[in-house]
Amino acid sequence: MIGARLLRGAAGAAGLLVIGELVLRFGVGDDVVFPAPSTILYEAALLLVDADFLEGLGTTLANWALGMLIAIGIAVPLGVLLGALPPVERAIRPVLEFMRPIPSVAIIPLAILLIPVDELMKVSVIVYASLWPILLNTLYGMHDVDPVAKESLRSFGFGPLAVLVRVSLPSAAPFVATGVRIAAGIGLILAVSAELLAGGTAGIGVYVIQAGSGNRMDLMMAATFWAGMLGVIANLVLLAGERRMFHWHRMRTGAQES
Amino acid sequence: MTRKLRCSAAALGVAVALALTGCSGSDGSTEAPANSSGLEKTTIKVGALPIPDPVSLYIAKAKGYFEAEGLTVEPVQITGGAAALPQIESGALDISMTNYVSTFAAVEQGKKIKLVADMYQAGPNMFNIMVPKDSPIKTVADLKGKTIFVNNLHNVATLAVETQLKVAGLTADDVKFAEKPFPEMGNAVNSGQADACWITEPFITANQSAFGFRTLADTMTGQTEELPIAGWMATEEWTKKYPKTLAAFNRAISKAQQAASSDRKEIEKMLPTYTKIDAKTASVITLGTYPSELNANRLQKVADLMLEYGYLKNSIDVKSVIATPLSG
Repeated sequence: MIGARLLRGAAGAAGLLVIGELVLRFGVGDDVVFPAPSTILYEAALLLVDADFLEGLGTTLANWALGMLIAIGIAVPLGVLLGALPPVERAIRPVLEFMRPIPSVAIIPLAILLIPVDELMKVSVIVYASLWPILLNTLYGMHDVDPVAKESLRSFGFGPLAVLVRVSLPSAAPFVATGVRIAAGIGLILAVSAELLAGGTAGIGVYVIQAGSGNRMDLMMAATFWAGMLGVIANLVLLAGERRMFHWHRMRTGAQES
Repeated sequence: MTRKLRCSAAALGVAVALALTGCSGSDGSTEAPANSSGLEKTTIKVGALPIPDPVSLYIAKAKGYFEAEGLTVEPVQITGGAAALPQIESGALDISMTNYVSTFAAVEQGKKIKLVADMYQAGPNMFNIMVPKDSPIKTVADLKGKTIFVNNLHNVATLAVETQLKVAGLTADDVKFAEKPFPEMGNAVNSGQADACWITEPFITANQSAFGFRTLADTMTGQTEELPIAGWMATEEWTKKYPKTLAAFNRAISKAQQAASSDRKEIEKMLPTYTKIDAKTASVITLGTYPSELNANRLQKVADLMLEYGYLKNSIDVKSVIATPLSG
């Protein structure tokens, strides 16, 4: 069944590429120069043996991973803390609601000005952007804990800490995982955007700028293709991890195979 | 109670933020006081765009000119002068390339920056106004009421175009400037978003061969002939703190500028290593010149033109913007 779904997805993607290829080769005429999907895919394949690009890919991945780890390290404990102490959450909520919708890309110029170490600047903006989805999902998870389970433990004489560890945390974990998955996508956007805006010694975004300045639209698109693939792969891996670790959660909530 | 907790949580947040940024206090840059060369700082980060202008940075590095001065230079790709300025101010970069129009505009706004070395000077057919081959626009005067693409508004692009408009009896008010990155200009002009574009290499060559675009005017003629385009900048504070490092950088860059000026092959060889301009394109594109010393009289022309066309409110004495060389 999964095989059939995969097949349909692949057919959709292939169809889109073929249409793109036809439109670019025959539809737009001589007035527009834009690399066709086949050219982009060919260049994308070549990039995998391009030392410059691979160094950039490594740098972007490293910043991204580090940013995600720090964001998880801050947001999960903070979310649990706020979730466990409702009065504090009510007090902080307005601040969160104010900070959350600020487009994270808009803070990059500020970060460039304030943070003198390039890598640190990039990791910081990734952390900032990834923080919110993880924090908010952790909070939702903490709210979603079954009150009967908590009450049962309490009536058996367990203290608040035991209730937190035995009921609240396991119950909130699937929500945290969803938050991490959403944050991974946003973190990647910031990882590449920071490179596009600030430059650097290596990175996918740095490579894209270099290709643009040299009038190599095909290389720009090929590098962008890999940035997109990173996002797809990260999402699939995290989704698979969620399914494996939290299958009981889907059974409980009755979520459909999606 | 709630408020108090909130405060402590806020304090925690601030502490975390400080801890995150605090690591930046001492970065890895070498500041060895006692080394053989006597430089205050032996490893510097230098920002440059992936275009032909800063080629001497890469020549100096490849030929070991920096090394001979006891200097380790790490080139960092920047995205434009607007982003590079905060980067030298924050200390992320020691030195960065800049275009002179941006620099003088920033100086007027009170930025404490100094020009430390010259880089690139305009030659013929380096910055052209181009139109599609079948465009009804035949002369600069025909641009009246038309839209012209430039890479940045209110910068060297618009200044250069304005000098040509003036010759044709027009002013900036007679045309409409619109911003568009160089790689997208050709397609965008063809789709009717603008009537003409101000464009540089390698895009002049590319649009000529892809679309048959023709050159309406070379904007580096008349008032702008041999206009200084780009140079190296640092903050005033940096030049005072590291005078010997700066002198060493200057000697190496100057030597590389001479190498670039005397043999075009040096440039063609170097371009594919730090840009995506391949060897074939590198051999046909038009290049400017690479002056080996910063000359205040030449640079004054840029500031004077900016004043004449309203890019500066007051005149700037360029000598005051040039870093004083180390005596002895």
